Amino acid sequence: MSAKREAMRVTNVKKTILVTRLLLALTVALLLTATAYAAAPGITGPSFSLTAQTAFLNQPDGSMVYSWGYGCATPPTGYAPTLQSQNCPSMQVPGPTLIVTEGQPVTVSLTNGLPTAAGNTSILFPGFTVTSTGGVAGLLTQEAAPGATVTYSFIASTPGTHAYYSGTQGDLQIEMGLYGAIIVLPSAVPANCTAGVYATSNRKAASSASLAHLGVTETDFRLSQAAYDHPGTCYDREYLFQWAEMDPNIHRQALAQVTAIAAAGGCTAGAPGCSLQVSTEPYHPSYFLINGRSMPDLMDANFAPEYPHQPYNGNPHMHPGEQVLIRTIGQGRWQHPFHEHGNHVRILGRDGNLILSQSDPTLLAGLLMFNTDTTPGQAFDGIFYWTGRGLNWDPYAHNPKSTDPNALLTCTPDANGYNTGAPLAINYYEWCQDHNKPLQVAPFGDVASGGPATLPDANILTNGAWYGGSPYLGPDASVRATGPTSALQPTNTQANPSNERGFAFMWHSHNEREITTNNVFPGGMLMMMLVDSREFVIDESN
Amino acid sequence: MRKPYQICLPILLICLVPAVASAQSFRVQCPTSTLTHPVAANNNSEPAYTAPTTFTTGANGYPVPSANVNGAIKCQQVSGGDGYATMADGTQTFMFSFGPLSGLADIANGLPGTGFPQDFNTLYSGTLQPGDPATTEGVSANSWPTWSATAPLLPLGAFTYNGAVGLTPDADAMADGLCTAPCLDGHVDPRQILDIGVMNGNIPAPLVAFDEDDEMFLTLTNVGMIMRPDLFEQHTIHFHGYPNASSFYDGVPDASVAINIGGSFTYYYFAPDAGTYFWHCHITPPEHLQMGMVGQLYVRPRQNRVQVNNSLYASLQAQQNDLRTACRRPNDGGTPAVTTAPDILCANPLPAATNSVTQKLDKLGNPQKYAYNDGDGSTAYDTEYALQIHGFDPNFHFVGMTFNPENFATMKDKYFLLNGRSYPDTVTPGPLATQSSDGRTHFSQPLPSIINIPLGGKALLRIADLDVSEYQTLASLGIPMNEIGFNAKLLRDQAGNNLNFYTNSITLGGGESLDVILDASDTVKYPSGSVFYLYTPNLDHLSNDAENFGGLMTEVHIN
Repeated sequence: MSAKREAMRVTNVKKTILVTRLLLALTVALLLTATAYAAAPGITGPSFSLTAQTAFLNQPDGSMVYSWGYGCATPPTGYAPTLQSQNCPSMQVPGPTLIVTEGQPVTVSLTNGLPTAAGNTSILFPGFTVTSTGGVAGLLTQEAAPGATVTYSFIASTPGTHAYYSGTQGDLQIEMGLYGAIIVLPSAVPANCTAGVYATSNRKAASSASLAHLGVTETDFRLSQAAYDHPGTCYDREYLFQWAEMDPNIHRQALAQVTAIAAAGGCTAGAPGCSLQVSTEPYHPSYFLINGRSMPDLMDANFAPEYPHQPYNGNPHMHPGEQVLIRTIGQGRWQHPFHEHGNHVRILGRDGNLILSQSDPTLLAGLLMFNTDTTPGQAFDGIFYWTGRGLNWDPYAHNPKSTDPNALLTCTPDANGYNTGAPLAINYYEWCQDHNKPLQVAPFGDVASGGPATLPDANILTNGAWYGGSPYLGPDASVRATGPTSALQPTNTQANPSNERGFAFMWHSHNEREITTNNVFPGGMLMMMLVDSREFVIDESN
Repeated sequence: MRKPYQICLPILLICLVPAVASAQSFRVQCPTSTLTHPVAANNNSEPAYTAPTTFTTGANGYPVPSANVNGAIKCQQVSGGDGYATMADGTQTFMFSFGPLSGLADIANGLPGTGFPQDFNTLYSGTLQPGDPATTEGVSANSWPTWSATAPLLPLGAFTYNGAVGLTPDADAMADGLCTAPCLDGHVDPRQILDIGVMNGNIPAPLVAFDEDDEMFLTLTNVGMIMRPDLFEQHTIHFHGYPNASSFYDGVPDASVAINIGGSFTYYYFAPDAGTYFWHCHITPPEHLQMGMVGQLYVRPRQNRVQVNNSLYASLQAQQNDLRTACRRPNDGGTPAVTTAPDILCANPLPAATNSVTQKLDKLGNPQKYAYNDGDGSTAYDTEYALQIHGFDPNFHFVGMTFNPENFATMKDKYFLLNGRSYPDTVTPGPLATQSSDGRTHFSQPLPSIINIPLGGKALLRIADLDVSEYQTLASLGIPMNEIGFNAKLLRDQAGNNLNFYTNSITLGGGESLDVILDASDTVKYPSGSVFYLYTPNLDHLSNDAENFGGLMTEVHIN
């Protein structure tokens, strides 16, 4: 065998291994995550008792990475929203999401449970006026010496999503995982956010719990109904994404030094030699994390037991027409271009500062972006939606010549052109201008003909794991489009099962190198947003 | 002794080849009329915009146009495969890449390869040669004729064909009585497609441009990568930024279908809102994007089609009468009055105040063009350039050519590209040619990146960054940049105030685009013959691999 042939064989074997690993990872993920959606889970206060401790984080390549994180020193006052298996471990990355309400006095006590050689630690709360009690003076704030406690107090003055992170030797401590989020809910929800379509969509105010929908209930997992005290910031669903990268070499150095000092009998805080000399440059990250996890682990359930110190996931779902609040924080040292497939995002505000029109403060002025940059230390709130408006074909494949009642649904446009008069219908929020418009010239199944496009023989195509099996949205339309045997199509074994068949949109870093995990694609900063027709119940309870 | 599968597998593969070839899996699509554009005779030009299309519910239960049909039909075919490009230090670099399979003459002239049905559904009179149009133009390896700096056109003019490569009458359909001559129903001769498409990769990928209200049929034909026959790579097209996309046509292989070697797939897009988008393959993005499968795409606004002397503001007012294009706010003067806040993702509401700006002729004597439906003329320009920022890691490309495992974590770009070229190639007018491993010369980098502004005029730069590893900055030495659009949206708040601003540099991450206007209307400051520069202040990007010179830089000429 020539060298070239040998090289080819090796490459093929490598590809095969990669594919096998991916399939294995997907299969494992699916076994564990029949329903694993996101929400924006956190703990409530307004008093929080945190520790900084060490643990090992799981990465999808099988490695366990020594890290530092914030956790609960004592059980929290409560959790919001209420999720299955919710817990607050002694250390997690990102740290517990602190959920408070605008105007509340917030108290955060921090106990330094890091190895003595790691020295002091602290928390910064950018954007808030903080007073500290206890601790020792540090460069940026009061710090907790090893084993000691410091307490920070501030008024949650501005609503929105905010970052918190270590104010001590940040190049090392934040890299090691000492960061988290504070969500400040507006003190009063604007009236329009609980009226009109916001009242008739699947979820009403949190207090009313749920709304009957096609004989099932879909529970409300929102923290609030508005992101800010402003009528332009209503939302129907919310997700929190914290972006950070990790250079395992830094973590290895830290672990080696901590282990060596411990093996030598430990050291006394502040004594000569009782410190870490970890080089944080040159910086070569190979793990690219959202909420502390990489794809595919990222899409597993919140609080999944495999990741005891990475409780938060990234697995967003939504129904057409819903306004989805994207809370995002850049927690690493690099910027990442966060590309939302499917539609643009309106930036509402940054670091809790709402961006309004200079001439008319009732209106918004934040950018519209299809790549929302995540910037170190910066948080943004943005609104995403998807309705299918302007496709020029009916994604529900309505067909007036069918006998299937779901194919015969009507679409009555409201003032904006959407079918919002029938909140219990599968096609609630359909874009009526395209109602009944065929896509295919001559389709195979029970969908209308006469459209513009001819689909090729499916044998020249390769189906993806999230492909619903047809161009159309939802189980009913997909089955009508592909015939009664479609239940046997490969899609049923995959990530977008036969009762879902949503439109899947990749949400990922568009510095594409970052959708790898330690050289393996796919991985890293990558997740799928599933837009589900209303036949499918989105359950964010885990 | 060889294991049985080592013998059987190659035999099986050999048997599959003729089966695939006979299945006629290559096809193109370019209907002359559709339910949205029902009159074929009207679909080969852009009608003037006077009012939104009105609809009536037709016999089949869906709305069909009843008056003011706007837009037309546009088609384009591209190949997915491989090829070579020439870097500014002379290195020939292997790419996974898209190449033109329609609009060949236009692409070679630096224009979009997008055509009306009558352009696309045209047969070539002779036999296309591998390497065309460079072969027919007589361009020999590593040399090319002098091009006009101001109007780069194919020098010999011998090659003017813009139709769909491979298109041929469907003899079977005619024999079956399903179709009458010339019967151009999308049936193709795959030999021509392989002759032209193999080793014909471009960087950037073929330029795509169409108009609001158009229907766009973009066919991807996967011709395989002849330098990497081991890979069996599928390809897709991701229309980056398409609002309210369907996942089916979004080009993400995980969420839809991917196109195997030997197959064609036609992506159907109803034109989204005007703006600067781009497109790329979405198979293993860190690999296929780094390797070169990235292209430019923009959508022109209907404001370009306003008749001369008509009001731009009135045109934008008219667009509020179609819910698809409306962006209403309380007190915007429209009828009926609205009380609810604007749609949170709509970007071009009526300007905050009325105005009397009308459509005019530009510096070149053509109807004035705009980047967006601004309603106030604030995005007018005389000449436009699609500029793609990209980076190549020569090590990754070499590894990709030589059957070695790739390494993502150590990816480091060493060539910094504006439209696939580094300085000084950026200031070469006309297409760059590369001799590929098939011994033929191909136009590998057809899109110029030298900016020519007519005296007293304005140039729109449609800038997209497709770099896969880092953020890049582009600065203007001399003429300030007026940033008027971002991520394919007009910079305007919900109240109608323009949020454009002046800057001398822009920074983009991978997958981001924006629009800036270089305004040279002050002929005292910007006289004829003056030269300015666009360059990167990321100073380590001003290099061509080992050469401490070149990189992300080009010139702006006032003509």
